Amino acid sequence: MSVNAWIVVGDQPTVGNLITVARSLGGPVGAVVAGPRAVAETVARSGVDKVVWCSAPDDVPAEASAPAVADTIAADPPRVVLAGRNPGERVLLGAVAARLKAAVLTGARSVTIDGDEVVVVNAVFGDIAEETVAVSGPVALLLDGGSVPLADGTEPPMEEVSAPPLGLKIIETRTHGFDEVDLGAAERVIGVGRGLKAKEDLDLIEELARAVGAEIACSRPVAEGLNWMGKDRYIGSSGAHISPRLYVAIGVSGQLQHMVGVTGAETIVAINTDPNAAVFTQTDYGLVGDLYQLVPAITAALK
Amino acid sequence: MRIVVAYKWACDPQEATVDAGGTVDWSRAKPGLSAYDPVAIELARQFAEAAGAELIGVTAGGKGVAAPIASKAALGRGLDRVVIVEDESLAGAGRSELAAVLAEVIRHIGDVDLIVTGDSSVDVAAKMVPTLLAGELGWPAVAEVTSVTGQAGTLHVERAIPGGAQVLEISGPVVLAASADAAPPRVPGMKELLAAGKKPVEVLDLVTLKVSPRSAVMTVTGRSRPERKAREGRLIDAADPIKAAAELVTVLRQAGAL
Repeated sequence: MSVNAWIVVGDQPTVGNLITVARSLGGPVGAVVAGPRAVAETVARSGVDKVVWCSAPDDVPAEASAPAVADTIAADPPRVVLAGRNPGERVLLGAVAARLKAAVLTGARSVTIDGDEVVVVNAVFGDIAEETVAVSGPVALLLDGGSVPLADGTEPPMEEVSAPPLGLKIIETRTHGFDEVDLGAAERVIGVGRGLKAKEDLDLIEELARAVGAEIACSRPVAEGLNWMGKDRYIGSSGAHISPRLYVAIGVSGQLQHMVGVTGAETIVAINTDPNAAVFTQTDYGLVGDLYQLVPAITAALK
Repeated sequence: MRIVVAYKWACDPQEATVDAGGTVDWSRAKPGLSAYDPVAIELARQFAEAAGAELIGVTAGGKGVAAPIASKAALGRGLDRVVIVEDESLAGAGRSELAAVLAEVIRHIGDVDLIVTGDSSVDVAAKMVPTLLAGELGWPAVAEVTSVTGQAGTLHVERAIPGGAQVLEISGPVVLAASADAAPPRVPGMKELLAAGKKPVEVLDLVTLKVSPRSAVMTVTGRSRPERKAREGRLIDAADPIKAAAELVTVLRQAGAL
């Protein structure tokens, strides 16, 4: 059985969306897993037709199995290879795409097969435009991985490959103490920008978040540079893309790189001291004023 | 030891406009050293100084990437020399082509032990070129890198992972994509820019590099401007914060957002 679409999986089984897209193309779907055995087993139960597990010692990161993943897929070349947007899977997809000399697209809105071509509607340049691209030859797609797929009752035999990994070894793992978050699942999100003056002032935002029932997110510099939150909380072109019922941008200037992450929000509110801030051109309700007065007032009004 | 920084001379999409037909107009955008590349150069420079290594910048792209303003912007940040491929056909090239060209440049330089890149490019922001370049070379790649220590052959690399950090021991050559906050970049002064003008710039001809052709051919068959949800664009008078807050809560309840 030759595979039409391969899914590349790293150390997390969060590939539900990849399986859905691969299935929609028709034809057999294979998965190659460079992560713990338990991840391969979860993927095997999710309705794929073929699973290859690239086994490696526990202290070897997924990236080290890139050649084994590329070899596996090159031996049964598909039309489409899919991987999720995380650092490990990007590395595996890069190795596969280089081996296949494939086209690489990272903003796919839709993927269909039309005769000999794979047709992809692809967002480009931070989502400011979309191109419809017809590709003859192999295509590598980076997509949102989605959630952990449910078991569908079938389980194809798992093939194990134990190729020598590249020279990478994990010698230390530390936690940074920030709570992890799944912003994509939040109904309401409050995004904080550099208008907030000090980390302690996040207390104000937390009180509002509790009153609204929202998760707290931020613009990129607040997570990187200022380091006030974990990196999984920043929104934007290279961070999270979210579609909540409500997004409240507080002290956010409204740069393109941030706002593309919230274009799917149902309602957008912005609070900023600068009446000319770009954020106000992209919101439903804008309040020009001092967040240190407005945020407590909104919290109080909700109680 | 030779360390390469792969950088990009690119425009910020914030300065581009898109017409109703989806065509992107870059004519008012000014190209520059891509946003996170100064971080990559600084991270690589600190390690190169500690390791006594040569630090070489490489880039490939369309017309303008080998212009003095572009090479000086990169060299002024502390590179020892740059190797550039400038070819009209590389303007807007796919990342797969770009990575294949960069891989040939790395082979041309020879004896490279480490390649450092920025987190992502300001224009495409896909974070794929470092991983494709590693794939072309048969090397590993690691992203979100926050520090590099050690010596040629055995590196200790720290990277950010969800919920924390991880230290990897890496033997053999590797491509590292720096995290956006790996090292605070320095702004080159007049002295650095003057010195940059005297550093070697090697410009390679794409034809002599013999880049193997891609298996896939991409044809753009349509363009569009994404439909954005129409926004109310209503400003609530916030002169009185308490009144403004009450009004906001009312409109959000009416909109079903709360």
